[in-house]
Amino acid sequence: MWTFTVKRLLHLIPILLGVSLLTFLLMSLTPGDYFTELAQNPQISPQKLAELRAKAHLDRPWYVRYGYWLSNAVRLDFGYSIAYKIQASELIFSRLWNTFLLSLSASVLAWSIAVPLGIWAAVHKDSVADRACSLIAFAGLSIPEVLLALLALMFAASTHWFPVGGAQGATFDLLTPWEQFCDRAHHLVLPTLVLAASELAGIMRQMRSNLLDTLRAEFVTTARAKGLPEGWVIYKHAVRNAINPLLTMFGYSLAGLLSGAFIVENVMSWPGLGRLTMESLSKKDHELVVASVVMATALLVIGNFVADLLLAWSDPRIRLK
Amino acid sequence: MSSASSPAPSNATSADATPPLLDIRDLRLDFMKDGRALRAVDGVSLRLGAGEALCLVGESGCGKSVTALSIARLVPSPPARYAGGEIRVNGSDVLKMSPRELRAIRGGVVSYIFQEPGSSLNPVFRVGAQILESLKLHRPEAANEEEVLRLLRLVGIPAPESRLRDYPHQLSGGMQQRIMIAMALASHPRLLVADEPTTALDVTIQAQIIELLRELRRQIQMSLLLITHNLGIVGDLADRVAVMYAGQIVELAPSHTLLSRPLHPYTRALMNSVPKLKGQVGRLSAIPGNVPNLGSFPEGCRFHPRCPQARPDCSTQSTQLLEVEPSHWVRCPYWST
Ligand SMILES: Nc1ncnc2c1ncn2[C@@H]1O[C@H](COP(=O)(O)OP(=O)(O)OP(=O)(O)O)[C@@H](O)[C@H]1O
Ligand SMILES: [Mg+2]
Repeated sequence: MWTFTVKRLLHLIPILLGVSLLTFLLMSLTPGDYFTELAQNPQISPQKLAELRAKAHLDRPWYVRYGYWLSNAVRLDFGYSIAYKIQASELIFSRLWNTFLLSLSASVLAWSIAVPLGIWAAVHKDSVADRACSLIAFAGLSIPEVLLALLALMFAASTHWFPVGGAQGATFDLLTPWEQFCDRAHHLVLPTLVLAASELAGIMRQMRSNLLDTLRAEFVTTARAKGLPEGWVIYKHAVRNAINPLLTMFGYSLAGLLSGAFIVENVMSWPGLGRLTMESLSKKDHELVVASVVMATALLVIGNFVADLLLAWSDPRIRLK
Repeated sequence: MSSASSPAPSNATSADATPPLLDIRDLRLDFMKDGRALRAVDGVSLRLGAGEALCLVGESGCGKSVTALSIARLVPSPPARYAGGEIRVNGSDVLKMSPRELRAIRGGVVSYIFQEPGSSLNPVFRVGAQILESLKLHRPEAANEEEVLRLLRLVGIPAPESRLRDYPHQLSGGMQQRIMIAMALASHPRLLVADEPTTALDVTIQAQIIELLRELRRQIQMSLLLITHNLGIVGDLADRVAVMYAGQIVELAPSHTLLSRPLHPYTRALMNSVPKLKGQVGRLSAIPGNVPNLGSFPEGCRFHPRCPQARPDCSTQSTQLLEVEPSHWVRCPYWST
């Protein structure tokens, strides 16, 4: 198990190297930089501009900058955001926390509804309720997240039940800790629902079809032949096996959540990593873009790794190979 | 589709008042497919006394497994539907039982072992735990590790202490089948149904498992319903043999009688198709022609299109299972020729 863990963590290195290199390259290929906008300002002289560029090392070719960046990154210094005038890592971690909060609450919600619903639909296959579930799942899969997010915003704006976007109210800093918590939770509700909705459909369908397959397995007949009550046959013998492929899906779902969060964060102005990446891209804040992309990649790889660990823990055939 | 009901054949003297352990009467079972009822078992009657061993043979798809699974009503329904008949276990009809009564029969009276031990054991539970589960259900007073170890020793598993905590995939096919047998015996069943227990195993292992079953029958007073493709093992293990074709029993006789003097043309064809080389016992395929598909069984005698002795009226005249000699039942009017 330890060698497995170490091996997987070592795999992370070439992936992160490749992703950061690619991001640097792509950023250098796009025209303009952070100071291009500033150049429109007649009060700033070209000399001053060149000075600023030199200070941010933007006068050097991209591979030299990449070299610098890398040598700093090894020491966990992920560069400086020229737009926000703050260490990139500091900024990312505060935003990462928001994304994490959103992803976590959305996944907890999605999984805790989707798994029981999938089981129920499989057990009551072809019933009216099963058909209804399939229909809802189909709708959930086909409605784009952007649309759902916009609808949620419209809902919030017309009912005033929920804040329209953002992660905290304007008076957040003046509130007591308990009120702060409630304020955050209140802001979290709609983005969570939007993000969970599309996630939910996929998990439910997967759970349903896994369980239907498993219920046809011979060991289920064996369990029945022993004289076990049908509930045990389903929940102890079948579900326990049907859940294994879902654990693999968990890794992908983490990837999906982050990219899903990307859209939801931007539409609903949730100050997370996705929104930060977007902002830094439009401002051409190079080091911040690279740092956030690298961070997102690391999260994905770690998500898959966690899924593999879970699967190994759950399935003895993988654990004892 | 003819559904000729036939008297329940048995070799037991039916004078005694206690009902036989298993008494299947005119069982008819359909599979529903696209709104059509396809008859898979058509008028099967079988009787099995305590301690008796019966072999069920026939080509693939003739309804052996479905018949055997019906004893504990294990055929998934839907798609299956019981169209008629009775399955009496110790005198009470399984087809009319409540779920609770059924659970008591499953394991408690009838235990099963299947063709693929690898997929019949649950991959995520330790083998010891799976055996223990059976004990907890049917013999809670003996649900402990000593009893599991005793069962593992009974089925000839070496060093059972170290096997207890293994998962199924860590064992060989032969060992897995022994685990299945131990699990089946844990509940002290009166009848063991073995559905092609050796088909998926290596030849040498096949012989060991058959030997184990024979040995167990000597030690434990238990009836055996053995389903097999291999007529070679019939003589050793079974008191009687039933031959099935297209959902019906076509011949039923004590095994030495059937092996030495098969009367139905299908049985003869089946025996001729047994490979002469020992150790090459696989699926039977040497009979010319194809097994008829479910739902399109021929009119008249179902075997007539493939029968070397077929006569013109075989395709029209429906056949009855008749006792042509004492304890020898045949479904062919021309058995004597
Ligand atoms: N769940 C099911 N749904 C539909 N048809 C089925 C089902 N189970 C069995 N059948 C059909 O019923 C017929 C009898 O099947 P059964 O499994 O009893 O055959 P068998 O004699 O055991 O054959 P084999 O030697 O291959 O095990 C076959 O034609 C099969 O296709
Ligand atoms: Mg079968």
